[in-house]
Formats: sequence, structure tokens, C-alpha cells
Amino acid sequence: MAPVKKLELPKSVLDMKFMRKAKERKEREIENTQDHHGLYANIITSEMRHASGNFISETSFIYCEDLLEGRLSFKGMNPEIERLMEQENKTTDIDGEMQKDISDEVLFEKLDTFKKRKHSNTSTPSKQPATKKKKRLN
Amino acid sequence: MKVSIDDVVLPGDYCEDIVNAGEKSKVILGPGLRKEIDKVYITKSGVLRKRAPNTYWVDSYQKRYVPSRAENVIGVVVQKAGDTFRVDVGGSCTATLSYLSFEGATKKNRPEVQVGDVLYAKMLIASKDMEPELVCVDSHGKKGRLGVLNDGFVFKCSLNLVRKVLSPNCPLLNSLKNEWPFELAVGMNGRIWIKAKTMRETIAVGNAILGCEYLSDSEIKSMCTNIASLLAGHVS
Repeated sequence: MAPVKKLELPKSVLDMKFMRKAKERKEREIENTQDHHGLYANIITSEMRHASGNFISETSFIYCEDLLEGRLSFKGMNPEIERLMEQENKTTDIDGEMQKDISDEVLFEKLDTFKKRKHSNTSTPSKQPATKKKKRLN
Repeated sequence: MKVSIDDVVLPGDYCEDIVNAGEKSKVILGPGLRKEIDKVYITKSGVLRKRAPNTYWVDSYQKRYVPSRAENVIGVVVQKAGDTFRVDVGGSCTATLSYLSFEGATKKNRPEVQVGDVLYAKMLIASKDMEPELVCVDSHGKKGRLGVLNDGFVFKCSLNLVRKVLSPNCPLLNSLKNEWPFELAVGMNGRIWIKAKTMRETIAVGNAILGCEYLSDSEIKSMCTNIASLLAGHVS
């Protein structure tokens, strides 16, 4: 994903009379950030910037181990929490596999019977009443 | 001494595998590890663990909570100080909680929190040199799962047990969740709050959690069925 670009007003709009305040504020902002960089430039060396290298220190286990959310409710003790848990489960389900209204097996069976019927319709139309009777018996 | 992954380690040991991994890509050093010039040293005794692709930490036994950012904790309000609450979370000093960091709270509409209330809150700031700060809302201003915990029962346990209970592989919650209604809040600071409909059920949940600290997965399952059958026998 491309990073979201910060919205900026076009220059022609900023030049209008009623936009004077916004224009001044923007200029001040740019000035401030430039100063910020220069302020510590002589103290912070590039060595200090890259001292940690590829190593990121974390003091918490929650980034290391895969842990569940710590607030849980079961069998309707706290409906509010259970609703949140359900919502969370749903989002993870969608990520994993698409939710199906009809399972693969049912779809296969339906298609199979559909094909057979179609086949029997075209090739041997005389047999059809017999099969129909059987179905009724069942 | 030089150590490798899944070894038992002691403070002062160093691991070259992590340094080698760090030359190729970003590496996350969890609790118990410290980068010092050109080596990665162990600072806690325990077992050195790795999670793919490149997260390393030391799995150690610990009861002392050291606050760290973004963790959910259970705290007790000990003082109202002007526009903040002081909350005891088990760390070296109390944490502060602004009364504005509750859902729907404004300067006029203060949240109803009394001294002695138990809270489930998130660590917003936790640094070595300052007192930690808590919040009871997420970044959207919604309370989500955080807030005051009413009734119920709080007990303390080791920090390892908290992580064991919350790990998705642990059979404890899965084998208890269909037995009787209960809810729980697990703080990373080694405090667990539980609530069930009767006192018997609350005690049963508490004992199940505390009992599973040194048990294997299959032993936990049998313990849970044991507790459930005991409870069902007495109720009927």
C-alpha cells in the first residue's frame, strides 16, 4: 500500500485574502521543523543514529509471544465482552478463508445430481418417469 | 559462556546466533536480552527462546512486575489526586490515570471511580525514569474491554502463569469455557480477576488457573474435567 499523502491546499488558494492566517501558520510550521533539525545537529553524530543497527529492544512479552486478549467471558456471563470476542473471531476467520454459505461437499453433490439429471434428460428421456417414481417411494 | 537457542541461560552469557541474524535483517530483542557494543548479552536467567522470523527473548520465572508500554494490567485505585487517580499496579511506584481517559468523560462529566476500585487498564507510558501512565480507552476513545471491574475476585500469580494462561496453545480456557458461565480479566502484571455466578464456581476457576502452573497440557485437561465433575456433582 502506498503511504497516505498529507492533504495540502494549492498555492492559488493560499494566496487569497481570507486564507492569510492559514498561510502564515504553514510557514511557521515549516520554519519550526527546520530549526528542530539544526538544533542538535552538532551533538548527535551519525554514529549515534546508527548505533542500535538492526537490533530493536522490546521490554514487553506481548510483542514476543503470541498472546490472547486478556479480557474474556464465556457462556453469556458478560454479553458485552462476548460480542467483542465474536467480532474479533469473525475478522480472523475472514482473513483465513472465505466464509461459505454452502459447504464444498453439498455443492459437489448438488452439481453431480444436476449433471446426471441433465444427462438423463438428453440421452434417455424414457427412463425419467421410473426414477421419479423411485424418489416418491423413498 | 556462549549459548544458543533453547538453552538454559544465565546473566552474562552471550549468543552469537542473534548477532549473526542481526547482520542480515532487523532483529527484535525481547525481555532478558541486551545489546552491548558487538555482542548480545543475556540479563535474566531462564530459557532462550526464538520465534520466527527473528524475535528473541528469555523465558524466565518472575513475580516482580516491571511496567512496559501497551500492556494490559489490573490495578487498584489507591488515591484520588486532583484530576488524576493513583493506581497500584504492582510496579516500583504507583501509576497515574487521568480522569479524562475514560469513555465519554469530560471535565464536567467525571467518571465514577472510587478509591479501592479494581481497574483493567492499558499502559500508555512506561519508562525507567518516570512513573507509568494508564488509560482506560483505546485510540478511538472507545472503552473496548478496559474499565472498572465490578464485583468478582482478584488474586496474584507469577508473570509466567499469566503468559501460560493467555497462550493460544494452553488447553485451560478451552476446557473450562463450556462448563459454566464465568468471565476473567488477565493483567500482564500478574493479577487475575475472575467472576462467576456463585462462590463455588469462582473458587473453581481460581483453583484451575493456579493449579495449571506446573502441569502439562494433558494434565491440565484432566484436572479441568475433574473440577467440572466435582462442581456438577455438588450442584445437582
